[in-house]
Amino acid sequence: MKNSISVLHDSIKKHVSGKSIFIDDILLNDNLLHARVVYSNVPHAKIKAIHTHNAKNLHGVHCVLTSKDIPGVNQMGPVIHDEVCLASDKVECIGQAVVLIAATTEKIAIEASKLITIDYEELESVLSLKDAINKNSLIGSVRSMNRGDIDLGKKQAKHHLIGQLETGAQEHWYLETQISLAVPSEDDEMLVYSSTQHPSETQAIVAEVLGINKNQITIETKRMGGAFGGKETQANWLAAWSSLLAFHCKKPVKLRLSRDDDQKITGKRHPFIFDYEVGYQSDGSLVYLNVIQHTDAGCATDLSFAILERAMLHNDNAYFIPHVHIEGRAYKTNLPSNTAFRGFGGPQGVACIEFILDQIARKLKIDSALVRKINFYEEDAKNVTHYGQKVEYNHLHKIYDQLIKSSDYFNRKKEIENFNNSNEFYKKGIALTPVKFGISFTTTHLNQAGALIHVYTDGSVLISHGGTEMGQGLHTKIAQIASMELGLSMDFIKVGATNTSKVANTSATAASSGTDLNGMAVKNALDQIKDRLIPLAKELLNTNDEIVFENNYVGILSNKAKKIEFKKLIQEAYLKRMHLSASGFYQTPDIGWDKIKGWGKPFNYFTYGMCVSEVQLDVLTGYVKVLRTDILHDCGKSINPNIDIGQIQGAYIQGLGWCTTEECKYDSKGRLLNYSPDTYKIPSIQDIPLDFRVELLKEVDNPLAIRKSKAVAEPPFMYGLSTWLAIKDAISSIKNHQVEPEFKIPATHETILLSIDKLKNEI
Amino acid sequence: MTENKIQFILNNQLTELTFAENLNSTTTLLQYLRNNTPFKGVKEGCAEGDCGACTVVISEFIDNSFQYKAVDSCLIFLPMLHGLSVYTVEFIETLYSDQYHPVQEALIAHNGSQCGFCTPGFTMSMFALHQQDSQADRNKIEDALSGNLCRCTGYQSIIEACLSDVFKNKNQQIEVLEQEQKILLESINTKESIVIKNLNQEYFKCFKKEEALLYLDKYPDTLILNGSTDVSLAVTKRHEHLQRILDISSVNELKKLVLSDEWIKIGAGVSLEKLKNFSENRLPILFQNLTVFASKQIREMGTIGGNVGSSSPISDLLPVLMVLEAELKLQSIKSDRLVNINDYVLGYRKTLRNQNELITKIHIPVPKIGVIHQFYKVSKRKDMDISTLSAAFELKLNGILVENIKICFGGMDAVAIRVHLIENFLIGKTWERNNIEQAQLLLDDIFNPISDARSSAEFRMIAAKNLLLKFWSENIV
Ligand SMILES: Cc1cc2nc3c(=O)[nH]c(=O)nc-3n(C[C@H](O)[C@H](O)[C@H](O)COP(=O)(O)OP(=O)(O)OC[C@H]3O[C@@H](n4cnc5c(N)ncnc54)[C@H](O)[C@@H]3O)c2cc1C
Ligand code: FES
Ligand code: FES
Repeated sequence: MKNSISVLHDSIKKHVSGKSIFIDDILLNDNLLHARVVYSNVPHAKIKAIHTHNAKNLHGVHCVLTSKDIPGVNQMGPVIHDEVCLASDKVECIGQAVVLIAATTEKIAIEASKLITIDYEELESVLSLKDAINKNSLIGSVRSMNRGDIDLGKKQAKHHLIGQLETGAQEHWYLETQISLAVPSEDDEMLVYSSTQHPSETQAIVAEVLGINKNQITIETKRMGGAFGGKETQANWLAAWSSLLAFHCKKPVKLRLSRDDDQKITGKRHPFIFDYEVGYQSDGSLVYLNVIQHTDAGCATDLSFAILERAMLHNDNAYFIPHVHIEGRAYKTNLPSNTAFRGFGGPQGVACIEFILDQIARKLKIDSALVRKINFYEEDAKNVTHYGQKVEYNHLHKIYDQLIKSSDYFNRKKEIENFNNSNEFYKKGIALTPVKFGISFTTTHLNQAGALIHVYTDGSVLISHGGTEMGQGLHTKIAQIASMELGLSMDFIKVGATNTSKVANTSATAASSGTDLNGMAVKNALDQIKDRLIPLAKELLNTNDEIVFENNYVGILSNKAKKIEFKKLIQEAYLKRMHLSASGFYQTPDIGWDKIKGWGKPFNYFTYGMCVSEVQLDVLTGYVKVLRTDILHDCGKSINPNIDIGQIQGAYIQGLGWCTTEECKYDSKGRLLNYSPDTYKIPSIQDIPLDFRVELLKEVDNPLAIRKSKAVAEPPFMYGLSTWLAIKDAISSIKNHQVEPEFKIPATHETILLSIDKLKNEI
Repeated sequence: MTENKIQFILNNQLTELTFAENLNSTTTLLQYLRNNTPFKGVKEGCAEGDCGACTVVISEFIDNSFQYKAVDSCLIFLPMLHGLSVYTVEFIETLYSDQYHPVQEALIAHNGSQCGFCTPGFTMSMFALHQQDSQADRNKIEDALSGNLCRCTGYQSIIEACLSDVFKNKNQQIEVLEQEQKILLESINTKESIVIKNLNQEYFKCFKKEEALLYLDKYPDTLILNGSTDVSLAVTKRHEHLQRILDISSVNELKKLVLSDEWIKIGAGVSLEKLKNFSENRLPILFQNLTVFASKQIREMGTIGGNVGSSSPISDLLPVLMVLEAELKLQSIKSDRLVNINDYVLGYRKTLRNQNELITKIHIPVPKIGVIHQFYKVSKRKDMDISTLSAAFELKLNGILVENIKICFGGMDAVAIRVHLIENFLIGKTWERNNIEQAQLLLDDIFNPISDARSSAEFRMIAAKNLLLKFWSENIV
């Protein structure tokens, strides 16, 4: 059957009319308390005393808690237990939670928080990645990946290049700030409405902090107002804090971070520094790559090693490199713990190799697209990555050929050259960058999913699965899958809120894997129900032919008239005392990854795509306008092209933000300067390309995922890099591409003007 | 005088509020809607006017017609609404019996929403535009939506929704609604001033300039509230307690715009959006400036008086007004005076204004023929961003010679500053690149800029120099 098209996002009508219920919109009676977190304002210190007396006495304050009030374990670390729930004897970053307050109104909670004082004895702190590298403040062991022999490569390569690239932090800036609403019930039961990407882990952390069994805790997530990785682990904090308050107050407690607090206390995309050494031949082909990746984990481990690992796994991007050595080092600093963000380290690794190829092209005076092409993975040879996985179903060459043509790359390149030759104060630039992105959690055991399906006697179907909806359209795609599998129209199908009491032990909705994993689990459950129904249908239709589910009927292929309404069949099944519910399960087959050796098959498959961007640069102000962006992306056989294209557009613009205007600066005391949208600038409507064309690659069924589709969320984020390098191209034209401009991520107007200034002063 | 009560229309229902324990005079419209009404479609994304998730539409009966504007409800104190009509996202679909409002239909048809948190805000900005302009092109669309942030869609689908002829699609129902609205609005008393005394705070709202001056004379330490786009942040972000507020946002005398042969006289209460539309063909430098000034939501509320009144170092209007040699009318109950804006600003948020004086007007001389004006703003993002630095220029050439030049930089020091050293250097010289390049060097002697969240000092200096060259390059004779 065809994957159906143009089904709307299942919530869009509610979204445009303001009817969608987010956690902050849930109606509760007057018992609801409002919470506030009091956090450290010094980066590293011993806590000498915490004075809560005045706050406790404020009228309307219900409780004021410190670490002493934690009945269970004072821990929230998701992978490694190095993250306390509330600081007890020391604080390790500005923004670390120390005291929790619940009061009858938000205003009183804020007033109370002003009455808390904490005495500190300040300690020496590490406040930047560079500082951390100098002090070698590693947070765990050094990782490495190897293939071939760098020394041999050095002998083989004609040219050598040494350099460094810095990539910056990025704030998630989901529109809905972190929020949790904890509602206590009898015994120790707690129902927590949490804006979390990972309800099962949220449940585990709440249970640990409260010191009770997981079966007492239910986490429910209807929808998030954006997440992008920022609610994969750090939503747990809010859930734990609100539950702790609710546990003590015996009343429902809502904790919603203000925008400024959210920006100050939660982690960001990991900043990286790459020190690289690379060798290549005169045609641009790479011979060896020797890189040290340094990253700032922040004050706790969180997901840093998985992120570092993905950065290392994507340091090759789309290119075959014979000899590779990558060393990965994560450092501890006294900044908030950095965390997952769309791409999960991938974009940083990709940025490194794209930056290198851009330089090689300039040095060799070969068009950078051609240098890229010559290095692409091939189909029969040069098809194994530096970690031993074979690159199968490779569409790189196909995409390149199509996009070079449809974007008119080479003609525009010429026009740009003419433009640049006749303009001193405006320069244009263009760049093509590819992406090859591995789909699966690299932590192998996470590649599993569950689903629970009920078919009711009116023929309607309720689906619960482990994935969470954050705007990406997961529930819509899941409903479509069920609709296609059961041959049932969408109005019979509903996907319920994600709830840990319906589906247990789930993985985070992350790594772009939501549809792949949960879609398969749903299919598995549906197959079970169908297997039960088919014999009954055969009996009722008096046939031995193959049974099909189509257009709300169940029938046989050969005789279209011989059919029974699905609803009718279900009623018959009920009367026959047939089980009309099923729980489904899926584990991604045939993957395996040895973290220590850095070798194996971490990914189920790869997603491919490419992007060409053209920019115009105002040389005197550093202002950049994106003139045109062309994207050609592989979604396999898309389940919902509209949703997929929306994901691609959104991801590209988010990547553009990371590469250009989004900047996190800290002062010498470790205080974040850009802690509000006043100074932290995500792209606005005027920053998008004037001409923005997104196409899905046609005729590329993916045999390895649900209904031949492909995951989409993360890979297109990396297209922002083509715009970044187009800016660099424009800068470089100032000196006729003879001199390598200084560059980094983000290329803010400041980065750009300083780079131009440096170029101009170079003789 | 009315005490502790206001009236406004909310989604076509006359609403009376009495200020008491849980309702402050500085409670924002956003807080009120979310905590006290069923209208929770409106969202809080930042509480500081930057994201537009809280956008609602206000309508007002002015000059015989209803005017609709999208505003950020997080920046509006409730008493400012007295005598106005407010629409939230829940209302607009009720205008149609069998479908959503056309702007909603367009968003649905073009997949203009993903997580949905920003969507009610976009919907309302589009609704306002739908009421204002049936011809909106891409520029106008971007302008109307630059105060709405979306982190999911990348905006393309929203632009496509807007470009789908949606604004042309008008409906009759709105006329019926406006008739009802007129009657409701007329029932509200907008003559008598209102005082709200509650929770250790006094809020005085008046409708006549005279009353404002009297109040100011009696209580010189009053905080003047105009469009509130600056003042409200003290409450929503810094959680300050404001003791005494004088709300002049409904004083119509302060909202007049008069053009004579020699002067453009702008009331201090004229909104920046109104000024922008007015200046498009009459004062291009002001238009340039206001095109990159905040967002439409902010400009609809924010006033010229408030911008000058805050006299902040990054106020965007000051450099322009300084090269234009604008004059401010400072009025107290006893006297009034005109001061040149160049004399008005004394230092960081320090001005010549006496506490009992109100800025009532800004007079701008009508530019002479043959004079060139230009404004540049350097910011990280083109829209909806505060200046990292800015510069305004006025140039009069005589052949190739500089007859007169005025240059003012914002963001380079604690206040906007005219660079007389450079002006004097250039006057009488030829308008040629080498002279500009020498002038650039003088900037090193004049400024010692700061490094902050927006950029480094080094960047500011390079950019300031570049702006001189940019002005030259765009006006080569
Ligand atoms: C998101 C956002 C973006 C912004 N972007 C910009 C920008 O790009 N450029 C820029 O310059 N500003 C910007 N601002 C600041 C602000 O919007 C402007 O300064 C605006 O002009 C203030 O006008 P208002 O009427 O809202 O002032 P209010 O907030 O009402 O008042 C501001 C100050 O002026 C005083 N005041 C007001 N009226 C008078 C009067 N008649 N006489 C004496 N004193 C008076 C008040 O007491 C107060 O101190 C931005 C603000 C926000 C929230
Ligand atoms: S909440 Fe962001 S503008 Fe009002
Ligand atoms: S749809 Fe999520 S922020 Fe706009």
